[in-house]
Amino acid sequence: MQHGTAWRIDRVGLRTTVGQTSEAGAVMLDQTLLVRSLVELADNLTDDFDIVDVLSLLSDRCVHALGVTAAGVLLAAPSGALRVVASSSDAMRTLELFQLQSDQGPCLDAYRTGQQVVNLDLAAVGSRWPRFAQRAAAEGFRSAHSFPMRLRRRTLGALNLLRSDPGPLDATAIAAAQALADIATIAILQHQIVIDAQTLNSQLSAALNSRIVIEQAKGKISQATGSDMDLAFRRMRNHARNHNQHLAELASGIAGGTIPPGSLDYLKPGD
Amino acid sequence: MRILGLLGDGDGRGAARLCQVAAQVTGMTGAGVMLLAGGRPQASVCTTDEVSSLIEEAQYTLGEGPCVDAHRLGEVVSEPDLVTAGASRWVSFSSRAVGAGARAVFGYPVRIGAGQLGALNLYRDRPGPLDDDEHANALVMADVAARAVLAAQAGAGLGGIGIDLEEDLFVWGAVHQAAGMVSVQLDIPVVDALVRLRAHAFLTDRLVSDVASDVVERRLAFGSDE
Repeated sequence: MQHGTAWRIDRVGLRTTVGQTSEAGAVMLDQTLLVRSLVELADNLTDDFDIVDVLSLLSDRCVHALGVTAAGVLLAAPSGALRVVASSSDAMRTLELFQLQSDQGPCLDAYRTGQQVVNLDLAAVGSRWPRFAQRAAAEGFRSAHSFPMRLRRRTLGALNLLRSDPGPLDATAIAAAQALADIATIAILQHQIVIDAQTLNSQLSAALNSRIVIEQAKGKISQATGSDMDLAFRRMRNHARNHNQHLAELASGIAGGTIPPGSLDYLKPGD
Repeated sequence: MRILGLLGDGDGRGAARLCQVAAQVTGMTGAGVMLLAGGRPQASVCTTDEVSSLIEEAQYTLGEGPCVDAHRLGEVVSEPDLVTAGASRWVSFSSRAVGAGARAVFGYPVRIGAGQLGALNLYRDRPGPLDDDEHANALVMADVAARAVLAAQAGAGLGGIGIDLEEDLFVWGAVHQAAGMVSVQLDIPVVDALVRLRAHAFLTDRLVSDVASDVVERRLAFGSDE
């Protein structure tokens, strides 16, 4: 039986549906905790949120709401190299680092393919990832579930869930885990947009300021030499070229009073 | 969706169209977008009409008004009736705005995240607040303006201004030329010369760009006795 609960995030056009099922033997999904986790995650996405804090929260909430043993997040650095950003336990952290070092494991596959790698019985994947399977078993884990942190064609990292039971996650828990990963993904992308916007804004402001300073310098040269604005500008540009200076730098020196406006080179015929 | 449709329609180019649509979807007489930095207007991106330009110019001259406050406070600033609001708020700005034909003025912060770019200014020739839909549309248009400005800037070269933006931005260049001239005339720093120009405009009840063009055209010079 499916009772659909849909979250729609219009800004990025992403739709996630979390159904409700109860199948005997499957992991218990705590609906109340899940909703509370989603609200809490959204609540943490303020203008200046910390990515590591939000992903740590995501890992902890996965453990509580989805009833898994451990959760962790791998995120790609701008260089493309994956890093362990958050984990709900030390054992999880060790295992994630181990996956990166040995370059094998379900998290890496989820990240590289952009697809879910779920319901893996670790006892049965010895041939696929021999070193990972052995290490995970040594830490007491029996099943692994990895979810890509992906928006459209871009994959940022992966959310990884481990259980001490070998059984599968039911469809509801899988959908819920993917929903949590999607929200974290959107948060990270939004955060990046804000950082980019701030950089662009400062660049624009600086460019406007140098435009203004050039006008001020033209006014000073014009007054000091009795020339019109056009001639003042050409003299300044000529002087900057002669002395291998940036126009904005020269203008700033003139406007700021360190370079006398009457001291510029004279234009030669043809300049 | 309606806003997106409107932005795509019409013959107006980028920024000009943005201001037209902003006025249209908010039920206003006119609109303008200004960039501000350090609490002062730095450049005008667009205005729909003469009155909107005067509203921006008055704020540029006086350093007060709805956009200056919206930018400084990071909040929406409303003055649904400049006449009955009396002289308590923006004394000089109000008399000029009313004189130009504005009765209600509004300032919406133009920003992305915590980054403040400037403000959207809206005016109406009759008193009254924005209704809920108009207010919601104004918030959307302020957001669209922020994204449009930054998208245009995204293609700029090092230290430069984005090409599409460069055509639209008005930086009150003559005012800065005049400030340079006055700074030489009085042997004072340019910043102080700018203050003198603004003070002169205020005392003679003129726009600072009119005073500036008198200086640039050498019809007006500042002597040390002034």
